[in-house]
Amino acid sequence: MTIHAHVVISYGQSNNPTKRQLESVLAERLAKLDGVTTLVVPNLYDLAPTSSTIQRLKTLPGDLIVLGWLYDRATHWILDRNGVLGKFGITELPIDEDDEEELDSSLDGDNEASADDMARVIDERPALDRTIYSLDLRKTPDVEVFVDEVERIVSIAAQSRPQPLLDWLQGEGTAEQMSRYLGEPETTDDATGRRWYPVIDFSRCTNCMECIDFCLFGVYGVNGADTILVEQADNCRKGCPACSRVCPENAIIFPQHKTPAIAGSPANAGGLKIDLSQLFGGSNAVTEAANERDEQLIMAGRDAVGMAVGIPKRQSGGRATDRDELDNLVDELDSLDL
Amino acid sequence: MSDELTFMMGEFEAVFPTDRKYASNHMWGQQRGDHWRFGFTAYAVRLLQDVYFLEWDVEAGRELRDRQQMGAIESKKAESDLFSPLHGTVLKFNGVLMDDPSHINVDKYTDGWLFDMTGDGSGLMAADDYIVHLNSVWEITQKTIKGQLNQ
Repeated sequence: MTIHAHVVISYGQSNNPTKRQLESVLAERLAKLDGVTTLVVPNLYDLAPTSSTIQRLKTLPGDLIVLGWLYDRATHWILDRNGVLGKFGITELPIDEDDEEELDSSLDGDNEASADDMARVIDERPALDRTIYSLDLRKTPDVEVFVDEVERIVSIAAQSRPQPLLDWLQGEGTAEQMSRYLGEPETTDDATGRRWYPVIDFSRCTNCMECIDFCLFGVYGVNGADTILVEQADNCRKGCPACSRVCPENAIIFPQHKTPAIAGSPANAGGLKIDLSQLFGGSNAVTEAANERDEQLIMAGRDAVGMAVGIPKRQSGGRATDRDELDNLVDELDSLDL
Repeated sequence: MSDELTFMMGEFEAVFPTDRKYASNHMWGQQRGDHWRFGFTAYAVRLLQDVYFLEWDVEAGRELRDRQQMGAIESKKAESDLFSPLHGTVLKFNGVLMDDPSHINVDKYTDGWLFDMTGDGSGLMAADDYIVHLNSVWEITQKTIKGQLNQ
């Protein structure tokens, strides 16, 4: 039998029986499909980079199909942060009629960087020769929908990569070894606790450093090439999404945040939705972020800093380009008592 | 329903019953004994259009500052955080909306109410004052929406 892709099923964070049921039925079904292996893993977001699961995922060659309880973008960039890299695979799960317009637009953008000429971090990376497809298990409770989509992806993988993926078995593999890997789902086991940290979408990130300036808890750092990274993930303050609000490119995802835009929803990736918060009585996103940060500083026994530290330069008029009509409108909006 | 006032949002006729008060964040408030019941006005619902996601960040019994963030809403076309219209204590959220937030679209002034809360409602506006408020914000609202759409 020839392996064309590896299926990974990531557990939800909770022990919700409905979720567990879908996970286990899917694992059994997908493991029986031709051309794939199936690996069931703990919640990807909660796993440490040093965990045996992440190490195992890094050894899997070829295309990956990852099913989890998160938005596709969140799953993709969680893997990326852990060194499991690949191109963003476009999936075709049926979606609600209501979402059709969003689908058209997100396909246009290839779900990657928007069509402007901003330099994105991903542009600097070497081209990747494999694709990672992420499927959001929240889309439907219907097992068959996921089975069909996995079959579709496997057939694409088979066409683009005719040679079998056997190197992961370290050799040809005896019939006995093959049968151990094929037909049954395999499970990895790592103890995980719930974590909370930002995940960067490098297809949007421009390396502008607003986040590292803003966060006062030392979450962000830079690598040897001066590219932003989430260096001390567990320094992040549970529940605080403030840095994602100051990111000018919406590149920072908190996969477990309740607001879809912050959790990595595709519809918001292209800024397609109108944000009415200011009209409905909110302060602007940066003010809100500063308030959230102050709350966390106080909880940590430190002094609040308000708007005095690390506020994006674009807010203080330091933007190099001329102010456009929209800037003026936003200022006008700020001065109105809504 | 009793008397009502209207405000034209372009071609759309937004209707505001005069039997209740209005907050500048586009919620109506109706006094019920010792507390107020709040819901979205026709103006807010028109901006949102088809609502399909509503979530509250605070639990009933919690005291909120005026304008404190208390939840989030998402519709087909828009999203927004939601803010308390008063300083007071939330008593109860409308459980019907948790199962089906589209009641906000269908019955905004009745079964689609959002929450009950205590607090001093003396700062709320009468319907005619709310219309004056809408006149002052309608243009900027349109510009904001167009500005975001063209981004």
